Amino acid sequence: MNAIEIEGLTINYDQTSVLWDLSFSLPHGIICGIAGPNGAGKSTLLKAAVGLVKPQSGRIALLGQPLRKMRQRIAYIPQRESIDWDFPITASDVVLMGRYHQFGFWGRPRPADRAAAACALEQLGMSAFADRQISQLSGGQQQRLFIARALVQEPDLFLMDEPFRGVDLATEKSIIELLRRLKNEGKTILIVFHDLHMAQSYFDYLLLLNRRLIACGPIEATLNSQNISRAFGKSQSLFEEATALSAKTRLGMK
Amino acid sequence: MFEYFTDPVLRAPTWGCMLMCLAASLMGVLSFLNKRSLLGEGISHAAYPGVVAGMAVCAIDAADEGSLFFALVGALLFSIIGLWVIDRLEKKGKVHSDAALCFMLASFFGIGTLGASFLQGARPLMAQRVQIYLYGQAATMTDIHIVIYAALSALIVMFLVISYRPMQALCFDRVYAQSLMIVPRYLTIATFVLMLLSIVIGIRSVGVVLMSGMFVAPAVAARQWTDRLSTLLWIAAIIGVASGLLGNILSVEASQKLRIYFPHERLSLPTGPMIVLTGSAIAFLSLLFAPRRGAIPRLVRILSFRVRTVEENILKSVWKSKEISLKDCRACNHLWPPSLIFLLWRMQRQGWMTQAYRRYALTPDGDRKAARIVRLHRLWEVYLADLGWPEESVHRTAEEMEHILTPELEERLAGQLHDPKLDPHAQPIPEHDVVC
Repeated sequence: MNAIEIEGLTINYDQTSVLWDLSFSLPHGIICGIAGPNGAGKSTLLKAAVGLVKPQSGRIALLGQPLRKMRQRIAYIPQRESIDWDFPITASDVVLMGRYHQFGFWGRPRPADRAAAACALEQLGMSAFADRQISQLSGGQQQRLFIARALVQEPDLFLMDEPFRGVDLATEKSIIELLRRLKNEGKTILIVFHDLHMAQSYFDYLLLLNRRLIACGPIEATLNSQNISRAFGKSQSLFEEATALSAKTRLGMK
Repeated sequence: MFEYFTDPVLRAPTWGCMLMCLAASLMGVLSFLNKRSLLGEGISHAAYPGVVAGMAVCAIDAADEGSLFFALVGALLFSIIGLWVIDRLEKKGKVHSDAALCFMLASFFGIGTLGASFLQGARPLMAQRVQIYLYGQAATMTDIHIVIYAALSALIVMFLVISYRPMQALCFDRVYAQSLMIVPRYLTIATFVLMLLSIVIGIRSVGVVLMSGMFVAPAVAARQWTDRLSTLLWIAAIIGVASGLLGNILSVEASQKLRIYFPHERLSLPTGPMIVLTGSAIAFLSLLFAPRRGAIPRLVRILSFRVRTVEENILKSVWKSKEISLKDCRACNHLWPPSLIFLLWRMQRQGWMTQAYRRYALTPDGDRKAARIVRLHRLWEVYLADLGWPEESVHRTAEEMEHILTPELEERLAGQLHDPKLDPHAQPIPEHDVVC
C-alpha cells in the first residue's frame, strides 16, 4: 500500500491551470522533497492533498483510502508567511490546535490533550517557551512550534510547506534529525523546499514539478541535470505565456 | 448612582447601552482578529436604507407600534444584501476588499438618504423616527430593548463559550483548521448572523454613523493589554460595558448641568456620541499607556536604554584611564555638559564612581561593571573577526553590542570562542567575574 497515490490530478484557479494531469505514487516511510520553480504548483499540490483546494479532476488516495476519511491523519504545516504572528495566542495554545478535532462538544482540551501538547513541546526543546506569545519566539523556534503542533496530531503523513525558510542551519539540522526519526517510525514526510543543494543529503525521494510532473522517484534516479533543466529551464516559458494569455482571454480581460 | 439601574425611566438606556456595547465589543474582537474591523462600518451603513424601508412600510400601514420590529427586519435584510454585494465584488469583480466595502457603503448610504428625504416629504413623523437610527437615541429606549439586548448578549456569550477553541483555530490559522476537519458551516453562518445582529440592534442607541466605533474600539484597546485570546475577550467585554455605562451617565449628568448653567440654550450631550467617545478615549489611553505595547512605556524604555548606553560608555572611558578629569571625560563622550555632569553625579550616587579633587575614579563595583562591558565588546570583536569580518570594521558593531548582550549570550559566545584571552587588536579581554 502506498502512502500517497495521485491519479490524473488537474487543478485550476480562475481558469488558469495550476497543475496538469499529475499522476504519481510514493511509498511508506520516506522523506520526499518537492521542488520546482515559483508558481510550479508545489504549495497547491500540498493543499490539494489535505483537501483545501478542490481539484477539477483526478483522484487522491492516502494510505489506500480516499481523502475525506484521512484528514486527521495528515499534518499540514503551512508556509510561515501565511501565519499572523501578532495574533494573541501562546505557543502551547498553538500546539493544542493539533487536537481540536478531538475536543468534545464544549470544545475544551482534555487533560490528555494538554499532556500531549506539553510532551511535543518538550520533544522539540520548547518547554520553556510554552506561555510566550508567538511573535516573541525566534524564527527557528516558530518553525519548531508548528512541527510540535503537527506531532500532537499523531499523523501518518506530514506535508510541510517550506519548513526551512527563515531557519538557521542548526535548527534545520535538528528538524531533519527529527524527521528522520519519524521516518524510522514509518511516517511519510513530504517537504516543499527551495535549495536544491540540500536535496541529496536530506531526502530519499524527489518530486520535480513544473505545472506537470517532471520526475518522481528515488533521489539517485531523479536528481540529475537533465531533470533539473526540464523543471527550471527556459523551455517552459513559452508554455506559461500561452496559458496565461488563454486565461486572460477567457476571463475577458484581454 | 443606583437610580441609573433601577429608575423606570433611566434604567432602559443604561442597561440597553451596556448590553448593546457588550454584544458589539465581543463580535468586534472576532472581526478585529480576522483583520476585517471595517466590516462593522459597512454593515451599519448598509442597514440604513433598510431602516428607511421598514419605516416606509410602517407608514403605509399608518401603524405606530411595531415600527421597531420593521426597522430591525429591514436593517437586517439590507445589511445581508450589503455583505453579499461586497462578497460578489471581491470574488467575481476582483475588486480589492477596501474598495468593495467603500463602494457598497457609500451607495447604500446614498440610497438610504434619498429614501429618508422622500419620507420627510410624505410622512414627517416617520422621517423623525428614521433620524433616531441615523444618530442614535438612547434616552427613548424602553424595557423591551433591555430584553432584546440581553437575549442577544446571552446568545453571543454562549456562542463564544461553546465555540471558543474552533473559533480561535479558525481566526488564527484558517487553512490549518480546514485541513484538520471540515469547518462546520454553522460556525461561519452563526458568526455572521451574530455580527449582523449585534450591529443592527446597536444602531438604535448609537446610530448608523457611529456604530462601527463601538465595534472596533474595545478590541483595539484590549489588544494592548494582553497576548491571550480569552483575556482579550474579557477585557474587550469589560471596556465595552464600561463605555456603555459611562457614556450614558456622562450624557445624562452633563446634559443636566448644561441645562442649569444655560437655561435658554437647550444644550444637551447625546448618548450615542458620548458612548463612542468614551470607548475611543479608553482605546486611545490604552494605545498610549499599556505597559508592553503602549507608546509611552516604549518611549521610556528607549530613553532609559539610551541613558544606560551613555553611562556604560562613560564607565568604559574611566576604566581605560583609571582616573579621569571632567574635561577628558567630555572629550571622549560627546555630551551636552549639564547632562554629563548629571550622569556623573548619578553614577556616584549609585555607587559606581567616586570623585576626589575634580578627578573621577571607579569604585570596585564600578570597576567590575566596566570590565564586563569591555569584555563583551572585545568578545564580540573576536567573534566577528572569527566570522571573517575585516579587523577595522568590527569595532563599530561591538560598540553597539556591548550594551545588548545578555549574560546567557555572553556565556555562549565565550564557549563558542573557547574563552579567548586577547581581542583582534591584541588587547586583553577581562576575565569573566562570577561575583558580577
